[in-house]
Amino acid sequence: MKKITIYTTTYCPWCQATKDFLKQNNYEFEEKNVENNPEWANEMVEKSGQYGVPVIDIEGKIIVGYSPEEIMEAIKGEDNN
Amino acid sequence: MKQGIIIGASAAGLSAAIYLKRQNIDFQIISKDIGGEMALSGIIENYPGFPLTDGVALTQKFKEHIDKYEISVINDTVNALAIEKQNEHQQYFKVITAKNVYTAKTIIIATGSTPKKLNIPGEEKFYHKGLSYCSVCDLPLFKDKVVTIIGGGNSANEAGIMGSRICKQVYVITKNPMMKGDKILIEELKSKANVKIIFNALTQEIIGENFVSGVKYNDLVSGETNYLKTDGVFIHIGLQPNTKFIPPEWNLMNSYGEIIVNELCQTKIPGIFAAGDVTNIPHKQIGIAVGQGIIAGLEAIKFINSLGS
Repeated sequence: MKKITIYTTTYCPWCQATKDFLKQNNYEFEEKNVENNPEWANEMVEKSGQYGVPVIDIEGKIIVGYSPEEIMEAIKGEDNN
Repeated sequence: MKQGIIIGASAAGLSAAIYLKRQNIDFQIISKDIGGEMALSGIIENYPGFPLTDGVALTQKFKEHIDKYEISVINDTVNALAIEKQNEHQQYFKVITAKNVYTAKTIIIATGSTPKKLNIPGEEKFYHKGLSYCSVCDLPLFKDKVVTIIGGGNSANEAGIMGSRICKQVYVITKNPMMKGDKILIEELKSKANVKIIFNALTQEIIGENFVSGVKYNDLVSGETNYLKTDGVFIHIGLQPNTKFIPPEWNLMNSYGEIIVNELCQTKIPGIFAAGDVTNIPHKQIGIAVGQGIIAGLEAIKFINSLGS
């Protein structure tokens, strides 16, 4: 299974929706709440080149915003590896 | 054909759904998300029964409530509506979405609203490059930085207060001569040492290279153009009702794009009801959306029953 990292803030509904989507589909993920962690915030901006959450890193494939279709596409890519 | 379709799954739509379900109405909710603007509300202190909550948590409570009744939400975007004749005396409605076409005897429109844009140079270019319409989402990324909140109402007040806790300096710029909204919020905003409110300021341009670096505004009193150095810009200038999918020839909306409803949430087309922020009710509040959703639900039930089997 691919490693999934999600960068979030506490009150961001799209972050919550993304986490719910991953949980519903039984995908494990690491959450990095950037709110009180400038290191993670910088890491997120460096990876995505922007300041919006959520950012989802699926082994190098960066997705910005709540986008189940893109997440599924990135995860399903593992079958071809 | 369903007896009813609810378009939208935030405070109004989900409240209507609970009432329809309890009357065993065969209905479907179609929505692009759950929670809408309610979920983006940040801290909420004026929804009765919840002295202190937030948009995500309150949305979760609504979700738990519809889950209890096994009400599902189809995740889809409604693109158009149409009216079809069932027979000489009766009509039904078509709901055309991105993925499907649904039919129903009655519709409740509860699609809420989305943040308005300034439509100025730099706004599109710097979206998510330091410019955002969602303070609760993205303000935490500007810890110890300088941000500018554009707007003069409650959303701007709330964003300014939130920003004061996170950022080094917050500018609030409004074209109005004073802030509008809840007095308690305005007083709190004014009391913050790191907040400066600039009145009579019409934003002209968002400046930057790769990311936002400043804001240009016109001082409406002196006529001068001024520049603010800023790392982030948050736009809160009001909301636009989500009514694009409604045929304009139906004439359901007023000049602000809001659906005109009476006290029973009826529109001018029998069988089409509307509730919440998408309507012309002046106060856009979660509590009011809930109440209107319930009215629309009960009236839709009455309408369905009046059609017979």
